[in-house]
Amino acid sequence: MAALRSSASRLLGAAASRPALRAAVAPAAAVRGMAQVADAASGDANLKTFQIYRWNPDTPSEKPRMQSYTLDLNKTGPMVLDALIRIKNELDPTVTFRRSCREGICGSCAMNINGTNTLACLCRIPTEDKAELKIYPLPHTFVVKDLVPDLTQFYKQYKSIKPYLQRDTPAPDGKEYRQSKADRKKLDGLYECILCACCSTSCPSYWWNSEEYLGPAILLQSYRWLVDSRDEKTAQRKDALNNSMSLYRCHTILNCTRTCPKGLNPGLAIAQIKKSMAF
Amino acid sequence: MASIARSSLLRQLASARPTLQTGLVANAARAAAFHTTARKNLLAPLPQTIQGTVNDAAPVPETSPSHGSYHWTFDRLVAASLIPLTVAPFAAGSLNPAMDAILCATILIHSHTGFQNIIVDYIPQKRLPGVRKLFIWGLNAATAVVGLALYEFETTDVGITETIKRVWAA
Repeated sequence: MAALRSSASRLLGAAASRPALRAAVAPAAAVRGMAQVADAASGDANLKTFQIYRWNPDTPSEKPRMQSYTLDLNKTGPMVLDALIRIKNELDPTVTFRRSCREGICGSCAMNINGTNTLACLCRIPTEDKAELKIYPLPHTFVVKDLVPDLTQFYKQYKSIKPYLQRDTPAPDGKEYRQSKADRKKLDGLYECILCACCSTSCPSYWWNSEEYLGPAILLQSYRWLVDSRDEKTAQRKDALNNSMSLYRCHTILNCTRTCPKGLNPGLAIAQIKKSMAF
Repeated sequence: MASIARSSLLRQLASARPTLQTGLVANAARAAAFHTTARKNLLAPLPQTIQGTVNDAAPVPETSPSHGSYHWTFDRLVAASLIPLTVAPFAAGSLNPAMDAILCATILIHSHTGFQNIIVDYIPQKRLPGVRKLFIWGLNAATAVVGLALYEFETTDVGITETIKRVWAA
C-alpha cells in the first residue's frame, strides 16, 4: 500500500510540473493512485467518497489513518453496509469489518458513521450532499483491526449481571413459568436489545470508567432481569449494582438513548433502576 | 502518514474534477485547522488488560449503599431541597437566620457531593489511588474551610441572603 501511495504522489508530482500532460495523466493517477476510484466516471455516475479508518495489527507502529474509497451510488445498495461490502469485494479486500445479518438484528456491524454510533446495515448513505462519509470503529474501544472493536470487557460485564432467569420455586403446573400480560409488557423495549454496544461506547461515563461502570447496554439488560416477574433474585441483582461505580456513574447524559439504532431507551431503564433502588 | 494520503488524494480529485475544487479546498482547510489543534494526552489509555480469561465475568464490587443508593438519594434530596430554600427567603421577604444557615449548609453539602462525583468520575481509583486520595482530602479540606467561613459570615456578618439582596440592589 505504501509503495502504491508513493508512486501515486510521484506521478502526481510529475503531472503537476507538466501542465500540458496534466489532463492526460490525472485520470490514470486517480485509478492507480490508491486503488480507490473504482467506478469509472461515466456520464450519470453518482459518486460518493467513503473515508474509512484503517489500522493493521500486523504493523502496529504505523499510525491509524483514514483511507478514501469512491463508489458510484447508482451501482451500490442504499445502506452503508452495502457500500462497505462493495468496497471490500471490488476495491480493497483488506478492509476489515464485522457484519452478519445485514438487517439490524445481529449487532455485528456497529460502527461510528459520520460521528454517530449506529449499525451500518440500518444507516442509509446520505445522498443529499456530496460530503465524504467518515466511518470509524466504535469510539473508546480497543481496535482489533480497521473497524473491528474489541468487545471483551463489554461481554465480561454482560456476564457479570447474570443475564438469565434465576428462580428456585418450581412452576405451579410443573411446565412453564407463567406471566400476566401486564408483566410481559414490562419487558417490551428491553428484550429487543441486540447488544451492539452503540450506546455504551457513546457514553462519556463509560469512556472514562469502562473498567467498573457497566454502561447503558448492560444496565438496560440488568433492568430487563430486574423487572421480569418470573425472576426471584431481584434483591441480589440490586445489591450487585449498589456501589459507587456499577450503576451510579450514569449522569443522565442520554447519548445512549440518542444513538440506539433499535430505538430503545437505556437512559429510561437506568433511571428506573435508580428509582427502584432509591427508597 | 494520514495527512500525506489525504492531501495527495485531494490533489488528485481536484485535478480530476475542477468543479469540486472549491468545496474540497474548504474541506481541506477545515481538516487542517482541526489537526493543528494541540492534543493533550491526559491519562492516555494503557494497553488492554483482561482480568482472568475472556470467559470470566467482570468482578462485581462489594455492596455499599452508602456509596450507592443512599448517596444518590441523599444527593437528589439535597438538590431538590435547594429550590425552595433558595426561593423562600426572597418570596417571604423576611430574613430568618436559621433558614439562612440551613441554605448555607445545603449549598455546601451539594457542592461537596458534586465535586466528589467529579473526582470519582475523572480520577480512577485503580490507576491513580494516590491522586484520588489527595483530591478527596483536598476537597474535604476545602469544604471545611468554606464551612468555617460561612459560619463566620453567618454569625458575625449579615448572612448570604442579605448579601445577595444588597449586591442585587447595588
